[in-house]
Amino acid sequence: MLLEIEDIHVHYGKIAALKGISIAVDEGEIVTLIGGNGAGKTTTLKTISGLRPLTSGRITFAGQDISKMPGHKRVLAGIGQAPEGRGIFPGMTVHENLLMGAYARKGEVKAELDEVYDLFPRLAERRTQAGGTMSGGEQQMLAIGRAMMTKPKVLLLDEPSMGLAPMLVAQIFEIIQKINERGTTVLLVEQNAQQALQLAHRAYVIETGRVVKSAPASDLLDDPEVRAAYLGGDLGVDGDAPQDGEPAAKEGQVATPNGDASTREGA
Amino acid sequence: MRSETKSKSGAGLGGLTDGLHGWWRRATTWQRWAVYVALIAVAAVLPHPAIGSIMSPSGDWVGVLGQPIGIYVLLAVGLNVVVGQAGLLDLGYVAFFAIGAYTWAYMGTQLGWTFWPTVPIAIVLTALAGVILGAPTLRLRGDYLAIVTLGFGEIVRIVAVNAKPLGAAVGLSGVPAPVLPGLDFTNNAPAFYYLILGLIVLVIIFSWRLEHSRVGRAWAAIREDEDAAELMGVPTFKFKLLAFFIGAMIGGLAGSVYAGQLNYANPGMFPFILSATILVCVVFGGSGNLPGVILGAFVIAWLPEFLRAFEVTIFDYRLEEFRMLFFGLILVIMMIFRPEGLLPSRRRRAELAEGTGGMGSMGAEVAGPGADTTQEAVSK
Repeated sequence: MLLEIEDIHVHYGKIAALKGISIAVDEGEIVTLIGGNGAGKTTTLKTISGLRPLTSGRITFAGQDISKMPGHKRVLAGIGQAPEGRGIFPGMTVHENLLMGAYARKGEVKAELDEVYDLFPRLAERRTQAGGTMSGGEQQMLAIGRAMMTKPKVLLLDEPSMGLAPMLVAQIFEIIQKINERGTTVLLVEQNAQQALQLAHRAYVIETGRVVKSAPASDLLDDPEVRAAYLGGDLGVDGDAPQDGEPAAKEGQVATPNGDASTREGA
Repeated sequence: MRSETKSKSGAGLGGLTDGLHGWWRRATTWQRWAVYVALIAVAAVLPHPAIGSIMSPSGDWVGVLGQPIGIYVLLAVGLNVVVGQAGLLDLGYVAFFAIGAYTWAYMGTQLGWTFWPTVPIAIVLTALAGVILGAPTLRLRGDYLAIVTLGFGEIVRIVAVNAKPLGAAVGLSGVPAPVLPGLDFTNNAPAFYYLILGLIVLVIIFSWRLEHSRVGRAWAAIREDEDAAELMGVPTFKFKLLAFFIGAMIGGLAGSVYAGQLNYANPGMFPFILSATILVCVVFGGSGNLPGVILGAFVIAWLPEFLRAFEVTIFDYRLEEFRMLFFGLILVIMMIFRPEGLLPSRRRRAELAEGTGGMGSMGAEVAGPGADTTQEAVSK
């Protein structure tokens, strides 16, 4: 296993956000965590990347116990994250944002830059534009591209579909697939369960800080409980129905590609 | 986007500074050096009485140049490291100023040290105070950090009020001025002005070099999104501590000069309002942009002195007595029409447009006009 999380508990003050979550991600996989608002998906990612401290439990990455390692060192170990709400640096240009991704790393960055610009031709066009003035979709691309600049072994993605139009979501998911095919392991947190399950190899369902189900993603797509809770119920529609599910309704402010520059949510 | 911002703050001032900004970005190295030399030349002749008769018709222009103007500029450049570069809202900056001042006052009056070797000691002590304040508190963010630093400023002042070795509420008097061979600074305003000018130039070079180094990039990332910075491998805590350290150093330097300049140090010199005023200098000038911050500090320090000169009477009151009222009015008008400051940096503008980055809670405070700008830009 590349990344193994064993029975982690995380608290915000006295409130338990994670009550014993165990997840394993193998090299080369796309694993997705699905679940409703407040289930603990984002907290799980933040705990893996070191932004939240553990109360108890253990995180092992590439054979090394990283439970106590500070976040900035986990980046060098090979954990890259595109945070919730994109978290791009608004005052830096696209190019400067990408270079920040290579901040901690010594040596050349040209190869990685070329690869990111190849994955996201849109970013290459916008190289000198300030990050904060870009559309939501472009910011999401930048967040993923910047995480790729850290040369991650595992890429953590927190709701890359948030606030994006369906067409853009499809585009972003295609790129995630491409990144995975080129050899990067992906751990994807999504409310857009339909699309996440179609992309991932395996999935975990998280509810109120616990893993309630784990199975190959295709199995969960057919699971009646999961369909009822996260895929808008079994309405006799095929698996590829557009997001008419409860999560999609929650994210209802689907905006035009250019209309959501200011819908950034604080992390 | 940029043009949108321009038209929004499109008053004469906005157009002028935008033009300057553009010219500067295209300027060659030689042109830039010419500007530096010209600025230093202007600063060198600034104490001339002819300039004084315009800038400060009512009084002692050279004295005003050293204090408050020179001291404010030094402090503003120091606070800009913390607030403008690292984006940490420090409301207790005056504490470092006080520690620097008291260090020199104590060593000069009680231990009989001379000024020059004491200054580095004062700087080190103040920087340590910065770390002592920062280490436990820099895990806090935004408003919480602001409140803790505000408390720290008050604690230092209250300790001074009660510390017998520091003269308690009366303070320490007879603090010697610096002495150089053949030059006594005591009550020598021009000497102090040139001393402070030299220090300002040094501090500007230091700060500018930091800003354009790896350290500066890390600070910018922390200011714009602290979590994201950590995810890029920036040791955010260490760099925030470094910002406090360096900000404190500059504050301590300014403090020791100040005590020598006034020949005394007492708790009344370090009220909370001074922390607030220096913060105003930074924000008013253009947080994070050195020329802006310097201009801001100059204007904030100079304007009340200038307004003093108007001996018009309204209803038996001399206009001079209203000068702080006008001063406040000018600040309010300025912040409505140009919230990004007199000379904002390109980067700071984009941060404001985003409505999040920078200065913790202060980013949220200015989100209103910033968010407007974004929407306008988007709808076009």
